[in-house]
Amino acid sequence: MKLTADRLKLDSPLVETRIKRFIKDYIEKCGATGVVLGVSGGIDSCTTAALAALSLGSHKVLGITLPEEETYNATDVQHAKMVAEEFGFKLEGIDISPTLKACFQSLPIYNASDKLSKGNVKARIRMVYLYYYANKLKKIVCGSSDKSEVMMGYFTKWGDAAADISPLMDIYKTQVRQLALHVGIPTEIVTKPSTPGLWPGHLAEEELGVKYETLDLILFGLERFMRTEEIAEQLNLSIKLVDGIKKRWLATEHKRRTPLTTKIGYRTVGNDFRLPYTPH
Amino acid sequence: MLKEINVALAQISCKIGDKKHNINKMKQKVEEAKKNDANIIIFPELSLTGYLTRDLTYELAEPIPGPSLKLLEETAKKENIHIIFGMLEQSKKAHAVLYNTAVLLGPKGFIGKYRKMHLPTHSVFEEKRYFRLGYQAPVFETKIGKLGLIICYDVFFPETSRLLRLKGAQFIICISASPARRQRFFEVLTAARAIENTVFLAYVNLVGVENGLQFWGGSRIIAPSGSIITQAKCDEEDLVTGSINYADLERTEAFVPTLRDLRPEIFNSLKEQAENL
Repeated sequence: MKLTADRLKLDSPLVETRIKRFIKDYIEKCGATGVVLGVSGGIDSCTTAALAALSLGSHKVLGITLPEEETYNATDVQHAKMVAEEFGFKLEGIDISPTLKACFQSLPIYNASDKLSKGNVKARIRMVYLYYYANKLKKIVCGSSDKSEVMMGYFTKWGDAAADISPLMDIYKTQVRQLALHVGIPTEIVTKPSTPGLWPGHLAEEELGVKYETLDLILFGLERFMRTEEIAEQLNLSIKLVDGIKKRWLATEHKRRTPLTTKIGYRTVGNDFRLPYTPH
Repeated sequence: MLKEINVALAQISCKIGDKKHNINKMKQKVEEAKKNDANIIIFPELSLTGYLTRDLTYELAEPIPGPSLKLLEETAKKENIHIIFGMLEQSKKAHAVLYNTAVLLGPKGFIGKYRKMHLPTHSVFEEKRYFRLGYQAPVFETKIGKLGLIICYDVFFPETSRLLRLKGAQFIICISASPARRQRFFEVLTAARAIENTVFLAYVNLVGVENGLQFWGGSRIIAPSGSIITQAKCDEEDLVTGSINYADLERTEAFVPTLRDLRPEIFNSLKEQAENL
């Protein structure tokens, strides 16, 4: 199998249809009134919100921007507004800075220089807000994680990936870009550098150490059971880089699963309790 | 035996674990099919319960005969029609011995059943976890023809359809629960089984979303020549009817005489090689 950019070419109209059907079917089966999404203004959340609006009707979609002062980016907020206007869904904005301050002040071991621990709190606080809205309005939380970041474990556990459904989770970042353009997300949103926004100047490709165009082909190869040597050779990359990505993928499985327990009972949650994923 | 029959393909979505809901939907489709003068109506694999029942499989399975089969038997009698549907079958001898079964009912009630011979246990499929393999591929001589049944993944194994044809089947019915990623496989393989055996083949697939899997539908009747007699829509519920004229078998057999040209001596070698793979 040749690993070329063509491998990641998405049949966007078909994928759009499948994702819209998936969202609609889930909402109908669980009886929710719609979805709540955190809309940062980035490509993933804007695309997810657009697809949800196209699937359910914009009146069933509530977008919430949850900025905080340290990483506040007026352009991102503007982008969220643009997409909300274009696809007709309601967008609310909540500044989570006061909550964060209160949270940090009450933490006896808080250390402002520990960027990661601090940043993860931001993602988890956003999750708390989204779930409050979902509970109150009888909606579900729709996540916007893509396959690249989920495979890499590049998200906050119980934070930004916490959701009831994640419609983009089986397409890679470069494929999300194709889908985004197809559904009409403005080019400036699609082409701007991705950021998890956990601290100022936080850029995804910089932190991951590889461009998404390359990362996605590596992940595609791993998905197809290719060996790292073969992937490295084909993409003209060092084995160290590809091995490192594989290692990270395997090491972060704990972020993608229910918490591990030890087998004691007859059937065990997260292990051999195999139930249908029906929401009713 | 009728020389020409009308076949209704009932491409439905099912509610997982809700047999009452699914039976009601099936009854409704039978009534609709009857209005189109159908002699037989075919439902997808495990249409009684939905496909991905996972651990609920144990409590949803029923013996044959059983309560759900009885309800559908009454419908077949009342509407004077043949019905094929899929169900979780429980052995009469052991509670946890289950089969993925296709049932054939006629205007006089139960005719027969087929237990799936090839159980997919890879990718998103985990059938061997729950089911015992079937060991028999019977051909049912009915008023509407000599019928053979297969289920979904069986179509990947030409031996099963070949066996049915060699036993005299004129019409092979493949009920299925195929997710969208596998559409192309089924389009090709259903046509191949019809052509290589010079036999009519009906393929009836599930639609709807179960556990994130989207079943693609695309049910069809294929003539022995490989041409499509009728075809249901993709990805949505549909009910289509097509006619089968058994006289076409004779014409196709003369044009592509695969049965005449069979080489049975190869079968021994196949068996030997398959056992030593």
